[in-house]
Amino acid sequence: MAEICLRGVRKVFGGVSVIKGVDLTIADGAFCVFVGPSGCGKSTLLRLIAGLEDINDGSLSIGGADMTRVDPSDRGVAMVFQSYALYPHMTVRDNIGFGLKMTGHPASLIEERTRNAARMLRLDPLLDRKPAQLSGGQRQRVAIGRAIVREPEVFLFDEPLSNLDAALRVQMRTELLALHQDLKATMIYVTHDQVEAMTMADTIVVLSAGCVEQIGAPLDLYHRPRNLFVAGFIGSPTMNILPVTAASADDGRVVVTLPGGVALTLRAPDVPRASFDTGMRLGIRPEHLSATGMGDATLTGRVRLTEHLGSETLIVVTLPDGAEATVKADGLAQARPGDTLAIGVNAAACHLFDRDGLAILNGDLRS
Amino acid sequence: MFPTPIQKAPPWVRMAYPLLLPIALIVWLLPLIGVAVTSVRPVADLAAGNYFGLPSGFAGVENYTAVFRDSPIGLYILNSFKVTVPTVIGAVALSCLSGFALAVYRFRGGTVLFFLFVAGNFIPFQILMVPVRDLTLSMGLYDTVTGLVLFHVAFQTGFCTLFMRNFIVGLPFALIEAARVEGVSEWRIFRFVVLPLMRPAIAALSVLIFTFVWNDYFWATVLVQGQQAMPVTAGLYSLNGQWVAAWHLVSAGSLVAALPPVAMFFLMQRHFIAGLTLGATKG
Repeated sequence: MAEICLRGVRKVFGGVSVIKGVDLTIADGAFCVFVGPSGCGKSTLLRLIAGLEDINDGSLSIGGADMTRVDPSDRGVAMVFQSYALYPHMTVRDNIGFGLKMTGHPASLIEERTRNAARMLRLDPLLDRKPAQLSGGQRQRVAIGRAIVREPEVFLFDEPLSNLDAALRVQMRTELLALHQDLKATMIYVTHDQVEAMTMADTIVVLSAGCVEQIGAPLDLYHRPRNLFVAGFIGSPTMNILPVTAASADDGRVVVTLPGGVALTLRAPDVPRASFDTGMRLGIRPEHLSATGMGDATLTGRVRLTEHLGSETLIVVTLPDGAEATVKADGLAQARPGDTLAIGVNAAACHLFDRDGLAILNGDLRS
Repeated sequence: MFPTPIQKAPPWVRMAYPLLLPIALIVWLLPLIGVAVTSVRPVADLAAGNYFGLPSGFAGVENYTAVFRDSPIGLYILNSFKVTVPTVIGAVALSCLSGFALAVYRFRGGTVLFFLFVAGNFIPFQILMVPVRDLTLSMGLYDTVTGLVLFHVAFQTGFCTLFMRNFIVGLPFALIEAARVEGVSEWRIFRFVVLPLMRPAIAALSVLIFTFVWNDYFWATVLVQGQQAMPVTAGLYSLNGQWVAAWHLVSAGSLVAALPPVAMFFLMQRHFIAGLTLGATKG
């Protein structure tokens, strides 16, 4: 069992607070993804768990044992680095077996585990090559193989796929997931790519500026973002955020005035009347706006640019008050820049955020 | 691209190149050629004042035989090896360790310590002459090979540490972290991960220190008096007679003495490998 528990973990680098008190529990066998923009502290948090950086304050436990001040070598974790960090003077075989050899495992065991890992990662024909003779994807697999042979309870991945090309990245993604199902170990995976996060994780931790913004399953984050940051970070293209005025109406409804003066009525049965205010923000995803004008309210704007992706068309529209909205339309949509477009808004998919950016209403289409 | 390849230079440069290059080469090598020619000059030439003209005959065999017959140059060369080889091993080994410590660990006073190593290089060694001589005397190491070795190791380690520390800082730090996470002890990380990657630095530094110490004349004369510990640089002087300067013999001896550093360079050459860390990390 390797449940990972962080309590009030802080990290300061030269007076700059990088991790500002993180509380987090990662279940045994979970595939947890840390995601966030550059510099949000996700890699630092991973390095704190690995023991490569000292924790300034707070505590860390792995599998119930306190690991706050334990050396990285004694934490029972394996880490795959963004740069792969293969030993350049050793063959693939020696790279994979190095850790076991140095920690006094018998040669027969090393040989057996190396062979198994090589088979699992399809490295068999490459065992006698040096890292310089491998492609990026092969080096990545060697780095993973080096982690596997130690049979750790926790795997840490630091942006392992960011140096690979797009096709290889998709392939490695599925391979890593298969690996997770085979090994049933706890895995923590750091990435800035929200597609990776959405497709791989069973728990996503969204980080921003050293704080946890939200923890949850991928679709929970997508449908029920807790604040503007998560709403904007998860989902591509990003959620449209429009400035609105909200006023409470009867029987648990709220009337929102959209840019251009259009009124939209949302159902908000559980929200106290006092929360509605001027200066609020309405969030709606591009896929929940319709380019046909059909919906619970209709916005009118001028098309600024269109992106034809084949399967779909992204239409960027300038609204009357100067705000912009992106509409995800059918791949055959005919809108051209300069056209006037009527946009239908699906009221059930609208999110409402207060002045502090916290969600007071989540338009979760699943419920 | 700089410098411009000669094939792409203007025509007059291309014409002048094959003419000027050998001339430049000869001018540059003139002192060495002078010594080489003198070493095969019959003694009569020097007596007649023919220092720079063509030799009147070839006396190479006599001169080189005389060097080995008339002076204990064999012993001197052996002494030079006894001083140089332990110095190279000692200074390079110590600086591998100190360079690793300064490059990899962050500890209180680490930067100050590093600057001390660097600053040590700026001390003109001549001002150390009297104190070092007194120190070796009081330690009973005056006029011994050990005394010379200890002084050279102490004095060369500063520069070596600077060199090694900067080399190790240039290695991908993720390699060390990867090994740490794998549970490899710090000593084994040094021994099996860092040391193999330092091969080019060790080779370059060995050649450099070998040449420095082999060519040292100053300390050889300050710390040694007798034949039993005299390195070849200082020992060559004994080839001159008490009254007559035997330049032909000194020249011949000098060439013999210059061979080991050259040999050392060619021995170490295959270790000067660029891009040893290729493949360790992406890009």
